[in-house]
Amino acid sequence: MLKSKKVVLVGHFGVGKTSLIRQFVHNTFSESYKVSIGVHISKKEVVLENKGKMSLIIWDIEGTKEITNIRSSYLLGTHGILYVFDVNRPSTYENLGKDLDKLREVLPTIPLLVIGNKIDILDDENIKDKFQKKKFRNDFLTSAKHGANVTEAFNCLAKELL
Amino acid sequence: MKEEDKLSLIRDILLTDDREFAEKIAERIKYLETTLNEPDQLSLKVDPIISKKLSEFTKKIPETLGGTITEALKHEIANSKDAVVDAMYPILGKMVKKYVSQEIKILSDKINNRLNWRKKIRDKFRFNKNHFKDSLTPTRIEQVLLIEQKSGVLVGSYSNTKTVDEEMISAMLTAIKAFVEDAYLKKEQHLELIEYELFKIHLQSFVNHYIAIVISGNYLLTSKDKIQNIVFDFYEDFTKTSDISKEKTSSIELKLEHHFSNAKI
Repeated sequence: MLKSKKVVLVGHFGVGKTSLIRQFVHNTFSESYKVSIGVHISKKEVVLENKGKMSLIIWDIEGTKEITNIRSSYLLGTHGILYVFDVNRPSTYENLGKDLDKLREVLPTIPLLVIGNKIDILDDENIKDKFQKKKFRNDFLTSAKHGANVTEAFNCLAKELL
Repeated sequence: MKEEDKLSLIRDILLTDDREFAEKIAERIKYLETTLNEPDQLSLKVDPIISKKLSEFTKKIPETLGGTITEALKHEIANSKDAVVDAMYPILGKMVKKYVSQEIKILSDKINNRLNWRKKIRDKFRFNKNHFKDSLTPTRIEQVLLIEQKSGVLVGSYSNTKTVDEEMISAMLTAIKAFVEDAYLKKEQHLELIEYELFKIHLQSFVNHYIAIVISGNYLLTSKDKIQNIVFDFYEDFTKTSDISKEKTSSIELKLEHHFSNAKI
């Protein structure tokens, strides 16, 4: 049995958490949107360069309007967090700082990465520029649809979990 | 008589007492040397003294060291609450179970004594009914999962039959457990049983881990009792001799197999 780590994806509803996981685990994408209810669990083995294998147990938690609405028990024992927002919906990242602070209150020391998803449909050059200049924290800009940066984001977190 | 002999004679007469005294001292020194060099003899002399001192010291411990020991214990317990509770959990669990079952037995005996004539018929009926049911579907442990309480990460498993990914099952069980326990805001209570068709999943929680046991066949109250005892014994033995977080998965799985493969329910 490989070393297993619990990774949780959090963020507002509809930001593409499930799609990111589906892309990362199964290399697939679906246009139809189904709201996640409760929690969905996936598993992916990752091979880290010169560092062996690791098993990521990925918890896809239902999206919320407020980060405080996340069922706290789902976050217990988490080894790493991916905070996902939609680059096209300011409401999903305008309180990013506060949301991260709240997460840090519960999980102060674990690795946390911020992902701006759906860059494939971002056509506003100003906003694109804002993200590229890191006006808002974004460790990775991804497209679950095209698979851009998806594996990189998960692998980066996995490396931090070692 | 020569001069030398005369002198010797005079010395003997004059120094008799001193010589005897010196001889006695030499004898005493020899005796002491023998006592010191012979462990048995030394032990005969020293043991009673040490015993007396130890006994005095033991009696004085509560006065002299009591406060320090209590403080040290308090400090240690406060610093490792989880470990203490984890160690106590199986023991307390067994004690509570024994107490409850004893109380129930006393109550049951009282009732049965009053309804003695009915008892015989009922016992006979119950035996036959259970015997019939048991012979149809014997209780059997299909799978055992040792899971981290908070993260839901699988620590080790034992399985009679191959199932889907055990790590996924562990995480999902943890999510279900967390959901139910959250939903009813009963932080000190734990989900204990999940049923699906012919299978039951018995969940036994400890502080840092919980054990999920997949059971096929009958799951009567007596089965639950036996399973709890088996799990408590396993966890108690395991935590007594090893640290789960440092143990290799293969070793954990061997212990799980050793304990659960022949467990009789």
